[in-house]
Amino acid sequence: MTIVAPPTAAPAQPAPPDAVEARVRALGRHIAAGQAKAGRTRTRVLEDRGMELLARDPALRAALFRLVDVAPATSGRRDLAAHLASLLGEAQAADAPAGGFLRRASVTARSAATGRASGPAVGAVAGLAVHRMATRFIVGEDPADAVPTLAGLWESGAAATVDLLGEATVTTAEADRYARRCDEALRTLARAAQTWPARPTLDVVPRVNLSVKVTALTAKVKAEAPEIGIADASHRLRGLLRTAKAVGAHLHVDMESMASRDLITQLVIDLLGEPEFRTGLSAGIVLQAYLRDADEQLDQLLDGIQQPFTVRLVKGAYWEHETVEARQHGWDSPVYLNKVESDRSFERLTKRLLDHRPHVKVAIASHNVRSIAHALALAPDRDLELQVLRGLGDDLQVALTDMGLRVRTYCPVGDLVAGMSYLVRRLLENTSNDSFLLSRSRGTDLDQLLAKP
Amino acid sequence: MNDFINEPLLELRRAPVRANLTEAMTALDAQLPWRVPVIVGGERRDEPSFTSHDPGTPDRTVAHVTAATPQDVDAAVHAAAHAAPEWEARGAHARAAILSRAAGELRGRRQRLAALAVRECGKPWAEADADVCETIDFLEYYAQQAIALEHADGLVQLPGERNTLRYAARGVVAVVGPWNFPLAIPAGMVAAGLATGNGVVLKPAEQSPACALAVVEAFHAAGVPPAALNLLPGEGDVGAALVAHPGVHTIAFTGSGAVGLEILKTAAEVRPGQRHLKRVVAEMGGKNCVIVDADADLDDVVPALVYSAFGFAGQKCSAAARALVHQRIADTLVERLHGAVDQLLIDQAERFGVDVPPVIEAAARERIDGFVRTAHEQGARVHQPGTVPAAGHFVAPAVIDGLPAGSRVTEEEIFGPVLAVESVASVDEAVEIVANLPFALTGGLFSRDPATVERVSRALPVGNLYVNRHITGAMVGRQPFGGNRLSGTGTKAGGPDYLLHFVEPRVVTEDTMRHGLVV
Repeated sequence: MTIVAPPTAAPAQPAPPDAVEARVRALGRHIAAGQAKAGRTRTRVLEDRGMELLARDPALRAALFRLVDVAPATSGRRDLAAHLASLLGEAQAADAPAGGFLRRASVTARSAATGRASGPAVGAVAGLAVHRMATRFIVGEDPADAVPTLAGLWESGAAATVDLLGEATVTTAEADRYARRCDEALRTLARAAQTWPARPTLDVVPRVNLSVKVTALTAKVKAEAPEIGIADASHRLRGLLRTAKAVGAHLHVDMESMASRDLITQLVIDLLGEPEFRTGLSAGIVLQAYLRDADEQLDQLLDGIQQPFTVRLVKGAYWEHETVEARQHGWDSPVYLNKVESDRSFERLTKRLLDHRPHVKVAIASHNVRSIAHALALAPDRDLELQVLRGLGDDLQVALTDMGLRVRTYCPVGDLVAGMSYLVRRLLENTSNDSFLLSRSRGTDLDQLLAKP
Repeated sequence: MNDFINEPLLELRRAPVRANLTEAMTALDAQLPWRVPVIVGGERRDEPSFTSHDPGTPDRTVAHVTAATPQDVDAAVHAAAHAAPEWEARGAHARAAILSRAAGELRGRRQRLAALAVRECGKPWAEADADVCETIDFLEYYAQQAIALEHADGLVQLPGERNTLRYAARGVVAVVGPWNFPLAIPAGMVAAGLATGNGVVLKPAEQSPACALAVVEAFHAAGVPPAALNLLPGEGDVGAALVAHPGVHTIAFTGSGAVGLEILKTAAEVRPGQRHLKRVVAEMGGKNCVIVDADADLDDVVPALVYSAFGFAGQKCSAAARALVHQRIADTLVERLHGAVDQLLIDQAERFGVDVPPVIEAAARERIDGFVRTAHEQGARVHQPGTVPAAGHFVAPAVIDGLPAGSRVTEEEIFGPVLAVESVASVDEAVEIVANLPFALTGGLFSRDPATVERVSRALPVGNLYVNRHITGAMVGRQPFGGNRLSGTGTKAGGPDYLLHFVEPRVVTEDTMRHGLVV
């Protein structure tokens, strides 16, 4: 195990722990007040209330998520209504207490699916609802389509990172197609961003920022043989790094489940070690704080990458996948099982990352106000980036930009079909009992939410 | 029995775990070739007459093996019969403890055992490790089940009488095992026989005698009396002689349909000196279909189908042989399937990340190639893009569509990496096709409509239906495995009622009245 190296820059006089906690609370209250002021639209309040309702009713939640999941694969409104009917029927069977409401909803949907008149109408409403949910999270069907929204974000003081949604890559043709789409996105966005006005807070790093998925760049992701995926994905990722360097954009490599973690880590280390990328390229990778061995992964990155690079610290979005897979195979869970352990890990890694500036450029991606305030408290110089998710962190984004901080919003781009798995993941995250947002909407005491984990 | 926990699989995604396996392989290679003797009553007869080898490198001999003679068969059955009463008399708890200890023996050298399955049967590491885990699972599970069976007591009791139901061992179990799960399936059948107090004679597949020896040694090391478990390596004639022996009470068989039917016929014949009916537990072939409805998520379907059809080169009885795909998505699915098959890595089993290892032997390769040739001759579209290593019995995976109705490619079990894809107008048409098949082992369904899932689950006759996932890899205790119709005798290995096939129920009714009083 690598010993954590001391920070290269001489640190300011370290604040005593109590002083740090006091700063965290002050910053946290400031952010929370900004969020509250950000102005919540009537529909948004309704939607959030709807999500809270879902979080309280697991059977209904499952039924609606499965509807969202299948919606793009249905052949039409009647077919969608039929799916709604049987999903609600199943939810009704699974959850007797909620049965009254579900029974009525299920009967309505079933008669709609079979009846001549109302079937298409119910299907249309369900379809619209799914579409409406999707557009909250997804900024456009393709990069050109997304440009006005991204320009608007920039106008309001937030930069963006674009993520191209798509179906899973199972063939070489699909890997090539995804790489081509990424390449075009880099060029389209770089062209568009040239005309945007100067923003001193944001202009310290490239304006255009694209997040790429390595599992979409190769159909050969094998957990037991990372070298096979590395060999297959290398040339596609190298091409994108070249384009990013040429157009002056930042390329960020996303992290997914454990099946690809070692592959992605090693691939990024390998490519960033190639001479052509040692200078003049802005690139980064993701660190997932919920992983028990996240510190070792950070050691590996710090040892392996010589030039400055960005680390986006996230909690991690595959918690259910990792815990279920581990349970089914009889493995120790690779992720922390308690939220508080993840939160502690997040803060420990935040400190380590900040201590490694300027070798590491730090991006803190969280909707947890405590985590953000903690990072800010440790970095009085504010030399870090804060990242939020489009559709979930909108109020937070406003609050943070109002404080004059560097904010980047993660913006998925893609069609409805491609967006479904992303959408379901976000919805699940937002209605999980550990959700900071949900705790807030339920009125959990702010001091409690800002307490040291 | 809900507290049973499956043996954890190795976490191959961790590099140090993989390094351990590579080391185990080096250590095993230094020992090869093994010698596999006939073992009867604990006596070893080691006079090699044939060999087993690495299907990927046929020059590499894995074991020099002694084939059992008719005298060995007779001696083995007598030894087992002789040992059985004492073994049974120990009681279920004592037998279970020994089986559990045998599981521990296997657990202690699981890397070595997996390496052996990689070498002798061309199983890729993940599959070989799963085979080891399933072996351990069978031992632990049947040990627990045997205890539960001994305590089973479901009879109605009235005053004045005492009714007792006891499950007695039937006597001698002949186990005839396959090579495709060279550890787990023979070990499972042996364990079922031993757990219930029978004497056992194991005749392993001639392709995997070393794996069988490793299993037998673990049982003996754990304390199974030498004569209670006998090993008879050899070819088909040994199995035939064993099955026909009048001293055999139960035959546990996993293998081809043709051999299974032959065994059933033989078992029905009562030989001179035989005072019982033989019972057959047979697990035979399949022609397993995966139904894909129009609302399926192809992102999931493609990898699941590819793994189900081509994992371990399609050499699992549960493997997918036909995909019945809703016409609305058939073209898209076939295009993506073709692209996915282009990606498959065909190579030696020991290479991490290999998708398609060699098939078991030259005859298998020729048989499978014959089916592909038939498809070409019948004008079907055959997508078989891979190139295979020069040495070894490799067959490149093939996706075939456009076959004529009734083609032998869609009707017969191929037991190799060949998947036939057919377009159907509806799920109901697909159900009709499956419902009319002579086989009923496994099946698959991809649908995101609970009503469809419910309807199809009720309509299909298969023993194991997998919904929205791959159709292989049944887990002991979680997915009891076995087929119906011509796929088997309807028994479920790794299930709560499997042991009942290895025992005979006996009821004792005692009058407890004495002098008009209940005492």
